[in-house]
Amino acid sequence: MSDPTIQHKPHKHLRTNALPTDPLKTRIVLVGNPNVGKSVVFNYLSGLYVDVSNFPGTTVEVSKASYLHYELFDTPGIYGVSSFNDEERVARDIILNGDIILNIVDAVHLERDLFLTQQLIDMGKRVGLIVNMLDEAKRQKVAIDLERLEEELGIPVVGTIAVKKKGLEGIHELVVRASEGNQSRGLHAELHAMLATVGSQGEAVLLLEGDAIIAERHGVTAADVSRREEIYIDRRNRVNTVLQRVVTDAETGKRIASVFGRWSVNPILGFPILVLILYALYLFVGVFVAQDVVNFTENVIGRNFVEFHIKSWVAQNAATTIAVDILDARGNVTDTGTFRFADGTKADYNLWAAARDYPEGRDAEYTFTYDNPWLVLFFGEFGAVTMTLTYLLFLLMPLVLGFYFALSILEDSGYLPRLATLVDRLLRYIGLNGRAVIPLILGFGCVTMATITTRLLGSQREKTIATTILQLAIPCSAQLGVIAALLATAGITATVIYSGVIFSFLVLVGTVMNHSLPGETSPLLIDLPRMRLPQVDNVVKKTLYKTWFFMKEASPWFFIGALTVGVLQVTGALVWIMDAMEPLVVQWLQLPREAATAFVMGLVRRDFGAAGLYHLGLDPYQTVAALVTITLFVPCVASLMVMLKERGVREGMIIWVGSLVLALTIGGVVSQILI
Amino acid sequence: MQLATMVKGMRGRIERLPAGEIRSHFIRIGLVEGAIVSCMEKLPGGTIVLEFSRQEVALSGDLARSIEISQL
Ligand SMILES: Nc1nc2c(ncn2[C@@H]2O[C@H](COP(=O)(O)OP(=O)(O)O)[C@@H](O)[C@H]2O)c(=O)[nH]1
Ligand SMILES: [Mg+2]
Repeated sequence: MSDPTIQHKPHKHLRTNALPTDPLKTRIVLVGNPNVGKSVVFNYLSGLYVDVSNFPGTTVEVSKASYLHYELFDTPGIYGVSSFNDEERVARDIILNGDIILNIVDAVHLERDLFLTQQLIDMGKRVGLIVNMLDEAKRQKVAIDLERLEEELGIPVVGTIAVKKKGLEGIHELVVRASEGNQSRGLHAELHAMLATVGSQGEAVLLLEGDAIIAERHGVTAADVSRREEIYIDRRNRVNTVLQRVVTDAETGKRIASVFGRWSVNPILGFPILVLILYALYLFVGVFVAQDVVNFTENVIGRNFVEFHIKSWVAQNAATTIAVDILDARGNVTDTGTFRFADGTKADYNLWAAARDYPEGRDAEYTFTYDNPWLVLFFGEFGAVTMTLTYLLFLLMPLVLGFYFALSILEDSGYLPRLATLVDRLLRYIGLNGRAVIPLILGFGCVTMATITTRLLGSQREKTIATTILQLAIPCSAQLGVIAALLATAGITATVIYSGVIFSFLVLVGTVMNHSLPGETSPLLIDLPRMRLPQVDNVVKKTLYKTWFFMKEASPWFFIGALTVGVLQVTGALVWIMDAMEPLVVQWLQLPREAATAFVMGLVRRDFGAAGLYHLGLDPYQTVAALVTITLFVPCVASLMVMLKERGVREGMIIWVGSLVLALTIGGVVSQILI
Repeated sequence: MQLATMVKGMRGRIERLPAGEIRSHFIRIGLVEGAIVSCMEKLPGGTIVLEFSRQEVALSGDLARSIEISQL
């Protein structure tokens, strides 16, 4: 065993990935296991202004706020202070930097939660303990002697029921009284010897527990794993001793599980429940948001109002041709009026009035064609500004909001970990574990959004597999809408063949990757929290934050994607690409030449691709071939960009080029067999 | 016997845990040698839901195969 005290080289104290903090303010850090009520307490203390940010280099969310004259941090849920995963690494640094730790524990899970408490005490931190969920404890007939607990641990304790705001006022005093508690005796002597080497007792403890990252920061060698286990076992025993003196429970260790919670992981009932939940999700996101809400926001607000006004404003002083298409109830063009403004609409007010009044109350679509190619690029039919604006704000944002809202409800209710448990085995066939169900479901909303969430998976291997499957075989909601409409016309046989091909392909790709990528799928080990009714304010906050984060990450890429295609169009490269693709499309895929346009347009927006197939008069089998190709074909540019960022350029390009080749191959094979 | 062979409703005592980080994690949540666990649910394919000291934890089949228990 190496002795960390001996081999110290000159060392540096790196603080590269800490959040910006105010050196003059005392830092209070909320720490606790997942789902103990940290966020509820944080919201209570923090008031209105909360600054949620991602810890540099991770997706781990850290909220910061002001509380009195303190700086208050909410950290991700952790089971202990160490470096086993991203959450722990982030929480560890914030804890090491914190002045006062408010440790929140779940009264029902003291056996689990006090391990972290004792570890914080061993680290020499000033700690105040909040024993939350006393209502649950009472229901489960667990009685806790809080005064005795205070005595045993040597730190101040308050009991709370955070959701009912009971006892929370005691936290103000807790902050003042927070103190260094009773440290494990065995550790203490050893720590003294090390304090000379490292800055703080906290870091000394982590070094003894074999934390490699802390060791590297100080240029020393960490103690090895067996020492960590000794310390952990010691600490565990100490916690158990404390508990014996503090907790009396009527029924020993028996948990009152909710019926729904048990059913949702039952092998027989679990899947019907899952189907019901997915159906509800479909009704909410797929029907209500994607159709009703988006129809309104995209067409009425986005196209007819915002885009129309931007385009008419641009047309005021620019040479423009305006085409007004009159539409019937089914969206077919019945009549078109064309108006030419050689010097812009301002110069010819009467003609502009005529153009505006042309529809006479009928449904109409305006197309602005500018003479200046730059204007076309930014404000034309596929204008980078106009199209991105409508797409992002009025199509994607409602969808993403809807999805994250539903997901937050599922998350806060405690259903998601149970879902992960239920499907764990199935996902294992394709090299994933149960957790991957979340990005896969999100993919049906927006592949770009789902690609970002693959970060929560355990290993690089799983991230690669999940990303590939998302990019290849999962149609996003925008695309699904058009696919469903096309399949409705093509009939049931076509639908069955299409779904069969895509699904088998998904399984095939997953299985092949599972067997060919090095490494193993990480095992599922997941805590199933009690099922409970989600709290509205928590759900709303989460939804808004996640949506904001997504819009911030993805928006520039949508803009760049639109700009790229715009440049291709203005320079004539688009036509050239379509010509080049013609033999492939006509002979191999056996589709009309114009289908090439659909494929290329699919790059900007996946639904454009599919929508381009509407008017080609395809027969059912051609429809299948075209849809298979377009589903597997390139994801939209935004998801491509996000993938390159997440997976790196090399791997991203392999997945991208691979998906192009596979799409054309499979689409062609389907076509050759069917037609 | 392996934890993986437990069936729904069975109780057992943990005899041996796998080594490494996962073991440290088990110690933290209180799943140590000597702990009493019961099997709440067993899914086809081996994913198992355990209950111990009022916690419910799910583990996949391969992990359950690396844990030794004795039946109670
Ligand atoms: N019954 C009960 N539920 C609580 C209490 N405190 C928080 N919760 C619920 O526990 C869940 C987790 O709370 P949250 O603050 O999100 O936990 P975090 O993961 O630690 O941030 C939420 O659904 C809360 O509504 C409490 O005192 N009693
Ligand atoms: Mg939280």
